Amino acid sequence: MNELYSGLADIFEVDSSSIKPETRLEELGWDSLAMVSTLALFDEIYGKPVGVDKLKACQTIADIEALAAG
Amino acid sequence: MPGMGVKAVGARINAIATYLPQTVLANDALAEAFEQSWSADRIFEKTGIAERRIAAPDETALDLGVGAVRRLIESGSDLQSIDFLIFCSQAADYILPPSACILQDRAGLPRSIGALDINVGCAGYVYGLALASGLIASGAARTVLLVTADTYSKFIHPRDRSVRTLFGDGAAASLIEASDRGAIGPFVFGTDGRGADRLIVESGGARLPRSASTAAEHADDFGNVRARDNLFMDGGAVMSFTLREIPQMWAELKRRAGLEDGDFDQVLLHQANRFMLDALVKKLKLDPGKVPYFFEKIGNTVASSIPFALEDAVARGLISPGSCVGMLGFGVGLSWAGCVARF
Repeated sequence: MNELYSGLADIFEVDSSSIKPETRLEELGWDSLAMVSTLALFDEIYGKPVGVDKLKACQTIADIEALAAG
Repeated sequence: MPGMGVKAVGARINAIATYLPQTVLANDALAEAFEQSWSADRIFEKTGIAERRIAAPDETALDLGVGAVRRLIESGSDLQSIDFLIFCSQAADYILPPSACILQDRAGLPRSIGALDINVGCAGYVYGLALASGLIASGAARTVLLVTADTYSKFIHPRDRSVRTLFGDGAAASLIEASDRGAIGPFVFGTDGRGADRLIVESGGARLPRSASTAAEHADDFGNVRARDNLFMDGGAVMSFTLREIPQMWAELKRRAGLEDGDFDQVLLHQANRFMLDALVKKLKLDPGKVPYFFEKIGNTVASSIPFALEDAVARGLISPGSCVGMLGFGVGLSWAGCVARF
């Protein structure tokens, strides 16, 4: 389980097994609080900020993961 | 001034008093208002805020400011010798005159003072300290009363979770005096007006007068309801900007001051909320023991958030004569400002 997945599990308050690449963010309760927490998590793990508009466009966990590579 | 044999006059924060309105808005009431879409526990766990104070319908930021000034007087400060009053708020009583002029009268301050309003948000306390110490260094004033006061609750739509959970109303009064002991500065400032629309009350000014159209409610992607008459905050954008700019500001402040992390006794961040401060403490690699969190009972009080934390840190003995304190404010503008204050 990578750091991003375990961090997202904490943010959404779900078991880490619920965080899969294909998991849709809206199923997890993707709201403004979750978004700001994800921004902070992303910055902490990758040491670089992610553009908020890019994060808003994400639909799935895989989309968030792709931002790390981008 | 350099080369003129005149030593710049130092300034010092000599006294501070805060004021809160009576009404308490706790998380269980919010959870009910949000139809349990966010539970009271979740709001606390994420924001670190259990309750906020809300100004009465007929109570303005100016009224809260008067309350803070009265508390300052009650605690023994003599305000008859002040030279200048700075009132920092984003909720003036009137378009004109400035609230500072009315505050002079309401608080019984001398008629010999200069008085003006400044409209700055969460960076406002550091801005106020910069102006106060500048007035003192120039010889224009020897004692400056800085009052910060805001009532964001009046801008907030009751069904906008993104801001109603965070902001609380409150005010603070600080007395800044010329002093050989203590110092305020250096300062670092930053402004990025491209982000002006990320934290905004759109209507009610000259650009967009209030109308039936600006009062029309709409729901955003997250189900938060607001009108253009209400406070809008793009929390993600504000978080992004904070994580981008504040580390640079902190590094620049330390460079200008010739200080290292270990030289600071306390670092007072704008008291936004728990997730923001947790992220900043990690990012700036600060010692959590030196970074007070003071929002559990009052929420984010905008320009008053740092003085609330300061008053509490002084009361708990964390800041005392000789202490070196960093202060970092950031928010609406987008705007950020930091300084070092020696007590």
